[in-house]
Amino acid sequence: MPTDVAIAPRLEITGLDAGYFGQPVVRDLNLQVGAGEVVALLGANGAGKTTTLETIAGLYAPIAGTIAMDGSEIGGRATHKLAREGVSLVPESRALFNGLTVREHLQLARTGGNDLPTDAVLEMLPELEKCLARKAGVLSGGEQQMLAVGRALVGRPHLLLVDEMSLGLAPIIVERLLPILRRVATEMGTGVLFVEQHVPLALQVADKAYVLSHGRLVLEGMAQRLRGESELLRASYLGDEAAEKITALPVGDRRNGDTEALPPKGYEEPSDRGAPDVGDGLGSETDRGTQHT
Amino acid sequence: MDAEGLTEAMPALLRASGLQVSYGPVIAVDALDLEVREGSVVGLIGPNGAGKTSAIDALTGYHPASSGSVSFDGEEVTRMRPYKRARRGLGRTFQSVELFDDLTVEENLQVAADHLGIGRALRDLFLPIGERSRDDVDWALRLCGLQDDAERLPTELSAGRRKLVGVARALAQRPRLVMMDEPAAGLDTDESAELGERLRTLPAAGVSVFLVDHDMSLVLGVCEQIYVLDFGKLIASGTPSEIRSSDAVIGAYLGKQEVASAN
Amino acid sequence: MSSYILFLLLGLGSGAIYAILALGLVMKYRSAGVVDFGHSAVAMFIAYVYFGLRTEGKLELPWAILPHEITITGSEMGNAPAMIAALLYAAVLGLVMYLLIYRPLRHATQLARICASVGILLYLQAIAVLDFSSNPKSVPTILPDSPLHFAGVIVPVDRLWFAGLVVVLATALWSTYRFTRFGLATRAASENEEGAAVIGLSADRIAATNWVLATVLAALAGILIAPIATIQPASYTLFIVPALAVALVARFQSFAIAAAAGLILGMLQSEVTKLISVIDWLPKEGLPEAIPFIVIVVGMTLVAKGMRARGEIVVQRNPSLGRPSRPYVTTAFCFAVGAIALVLLQGSLRFALISSFVWICLALSLVVLTGYVGQVSLAQMAFAGVSAFALTHITGQLGIGFPFSFILASLAAVPLGIVIGLPALRLRGVNLAVVTLSAGLVLDSLVFNWTWFTGGLGGTKVGNPSLLGWNLGISSGNAYPRVIFGIFVLAVVCGIGLLVARLRRAPAGRMMIAVRSNERAAAAAGIDVNRTKLLAFALSSWIAGVGGVLFAYTQQTVSPPTFEVFTSLGLVAIAFVAGVGRIGGAVFAGIMMASTGLFVTFLNREFNIGKYQLLVAGLLLTITAIKQPDGVAANPPPPLVHAWKWLEARLFYKSETAQASSTVAASAGSEH
Repeated sequence: MPTDVAIAPRLEITGLDAGYFGQPVVRDLNLQVGAGEVVALLGANGAGKTTTLETIAGLYAPIAGTIAMDGSEIGGRATHKLAREGVSLVPESRALFNGLTVREHLQLARTGGNDLPTDAVLEMLPELEKCLARKAGVLSGGEQQMLAVGRALVGRPHLLLVDEMSLGLAPIIVERLLPILRRVATEMGTGVLFVEQHVPLALQVADKAYVLSHGRLVLEGMAQRLRGESELLRASYLGDEAAEKITALPVGDRRNGDTEALPPKGYEEPSDRGAPDVGDGLGSETDRGTQHT
Repeated sequence: MDAEGLTEAMPALLRASGLQVSYGPVIAVDALDLEVREGSVVGLIGPNGAGKTSAIDALTGYHPASSGSVSFDGEEVTRMRPYKRARRGLGRTFQSVELFDDLTVEENLQVAADHLGIGRALRDLFLPIGERSRDDVDWALRLCGLQDDAERLPTELSAGRRKLVGVARALAQRPRLVMMDEPAAGLDTDESAELGERLRTLPAAGVSVFLVDHDMSLVLGVCEQIYVLDFGKLIASGTPSEIRSSDAVIGAYLGKQEVASAN
Repeated sequence: MSSYILFLLLGLGSGAIYAILALGLVMKYRSAGVVDFGHSAVAMFIAYVYFGLRTEGKLELPWAILPHEITITGSEMGNAPAMIAALLYAAVLGLVMYLLIYRPLRHATQLARICASVGILLYLQAIAVLDFSSNPKSVPTILPDSPLHFAGVIVPVDRLWFAGLVVVLATALWSTYRFTRFGLATRAASENEEGAAVIGLSADRIAATNWVLATVLAALAGILIAPIATIQPASYTLFIVPALAVALVARFQSFAIAAAAGLILGMLQSEVTKLISVIDWLPKEGLPEAIPFIVIVVGMTLVAKGMRARGEIVVQRNPSLGRPSRPYVTTAFCFAVGAIALVLLQGSLRFALISSFVWICLALSLVVLTGYVGQVSLAQMAFAGVSAFALTHITGQLGIGFPFSFILASLAAVPLGIVIGLPALRLRGVNLAVVTLSAGLVLDSLVFNWTWFTGGLGGTKVGNPSLLGWNLGISSGNAYPRVIFGIFVLAVVCGIGLLVARLRRAPAGRMMIAVRSNERAAAAAGIDVNRTKLLAFALSSWIAGVGGVLFAYTQQTVSPPTFEVFTSLGLVAIAFVAGVGRIGGAVFAGIMMASTGLFVTFLNREFNIGKYQLLVAGLLLTITAIKQPDGVAANPPPPLVHAWKWLEARLFYKSETAQASSTVAASAGSEH
């Protein structure tokens, strides 16, 4: 939509090199997340997805390039300062405080500003209600992940970064959790960027997806389109030769999204709902998915 | 079928029966029965969090089994400490690699190949017992293609090479059975395929293999017998082709809805 | 009966001291992950500050040599203003110390942080001695002390008040950490720093605030202890050992347990004092000091399972290791250099050189234990002491001659080493350090207090070693110190050095390093982790025992104070910053160590600055721990490296062209 052009995106990354000890793991990354938009960051193990999220969240300083939130540069600022300004990270480790109760987690996450009341968090994540008084260390994996997400929502983040939500969780819990990202984006105008191994599920939830391979962006486009482009996805995950070798394997289907699965109940296709169209920066090619070379 | 009959006759090198592993109230592995025969390559697969590493930990003694039993080479080892199982020929690698970062690659292998008790190690300090045999170390280095890295420290190597050092270290012990926990994670496709080739040669060298990985192509390509674990329970076992066509396996990996829609 | 109660109540005084110090230690550990060995030294210094303000209205500054007093009122100050001023002073001091020392060390190894805090301990103690002298200063009472009659005894009321205050403080701290947002944030940040950061909490700022509060608490402790115990540098800093033991019982986590354990420890000690007077067969010396620690050491070892040291989740960095490339050649070279130095130096400098050889031997015992296996022992001097005293008995009563006496005496430390190694099978890191420190204190106060064993404070004379009628001793007639004795010590130390260098590349050494790197993986490689650790403790205590025997021969009279537990602490700290993974580090530590060592003797003789030795040592220790976490030997000063390369090029030129294949590029100077 034309108005989107004037407003700076929630997150705009240009020419980012990110890594540790001056060694770039991710090179020359360009990426945008608009307000109210859900964006998936995909790629094989070691592609640099986590590094990207951690650099945006300020755990590491960018080696080169810029990271801007709502038009102002945030690259290299300390994590705890960014958190107060609305950049909320759900790390892969979940980084919970094992000795603190669920209620204490939600209290502690308050910033003193326009916070989400505990009731509102519980309304989104009703499973947490029955374990409010329990310590995080004794929760199940799924409950821990819900707490990690709930804690990140308390400050009404402008930008929500979620790393590998499905790690170690049963598919059914993931199917329950991912749609919450969509709700957060819609209701709070948050820009959501999430890393996910479970590609078909990720593409159901996301408006748009970026695929990293060996630290470089190899594919980007609207999620709706990418779902149909299993060959492209497969290639970006495995390299073309490997894709041919693997085709015979039925289990590979799950990763490559060959099976057009039914979307989980409770949300609709993003495009049908008129979710913000963020294709502008990507031009018409996004409609077919762009194969970077 | 003939091959089946042959292997039936071979005694099981490793056998687990009714193995249960729990972490507090959480049951990670439930009533697992499996066996690995001498000279075979056996795989264990399952989605993330299915209990694969818990199973390896219990089989090698790193986590106590809450019930059930494990026997190795006919000997009951359920309560035996890990280093003793290792000395009896049950080697393992770790998902998180876990190398000795202060020792060179070669020393990493040598320390595993030494097989020295404390008494002999102490005596060697005062009355050197001569150079240790390097045969097993050289064999493991060659097998994993690490000859050029022998003098380097593990910290100087890439993640993929480190992973191989972990495999080589387990092999340098000349184990009778090596249990590999995700050896291909972090390797690229070529490296992974190469590793598969190498693993295939191990039974000929007297090392049976128990492979846990979620690289399906590796496991399906290398193993003769595969067990599939989901939520701590064995949901299928069989040859690669049987596993490929098992509905239970596809269901575990794709989620039930997707099976429904695929059908 | 009433006298038993009286002793219990009397014990509340020292119990309150341990408890209040332990509360501060728990705070510092929970918030910053630091076990602060300098905690009680800070308490001591602030007590002097308070004393200066209250008696003369002068503000004392934490340094010497430069002017260190500012006159404020020029006359006595009231109790309250002096106390408030001293506490504010402590807050500033705490903040400065956190920012300068502990903040840069936040991601360093636990051992580096301990060394820095030991440096602070030495520094503040030295300042106190220089600025206020070591004479005890008595302070007028602060807490009410009007006598109270209860159950037939006169109760020391000030101790009741002090104990009550400790309970109040513990309750306040517990509820602060439990209920307030600040407390919640502290707990959160200590559990997961990343988690704190992602919700907008700065772990650094939280730690700084806690550090300031804990320092104020230490200051309060220092001030309140003063009227009960008088202010005196040595006794104050010694309080750290029981306080650490108490904090360990509380697992460095629980304020309630710390307060209770402290009070109980004090009462237990006091009660044992009473029992000794009643029960004849109990040893009179050292028992009150020892008993509670025996309980703590044994108890903590038994309950250790599942105990998590903070920072264990983080990858534990170990001190870097050397790789001796030419052990035999280098040893021969070192022997030659040492022998030449022995001949060239005269009198006190020659004696100092010989002392340094002995210290090198003791530091080598740590290279095996801390360097190769990564275990910390703060009882090394106890091992040395046992061997030294064993020597007096073996040569004296048993009449066994050299060299058998030497061998037997050095082996006497081994059983002890294995016993002290047992906790290492279940404890690690800081917990192990505190347990070995306590064990060292037990030996210190119990065994070294047995007059029949040690000969009392005067010590026991040791005969000169002689081989086939040839006197190897340090003195012969007027000749003292003799070169031949120096050569003897040098030969022994070179032999030990060679052993430790060979160990690095021998199967036993590989096993040790494997255990240090990763216990899980070591077990997978078929290594018996427990026995490997015990082997290292045995070997290390034997080497320390050799050092002890050499000590005995050097000193000619052995007496208990040489082997006190604080010397062990200093030895570990200096060996660590010198580079505990390397033989070169041990050599460096030996030269720098103690007032009898070569470096200090030289400085004292040339510049007469011996009295500043501890001050400089403490400062250097702290700075090195921050700047060179791998130890000086890992990155030796450039001029030394150049000098060694120059020398190496000339010395080894021939042997290397002869066997070009064995050339190793690394500089043996930095390796050894």
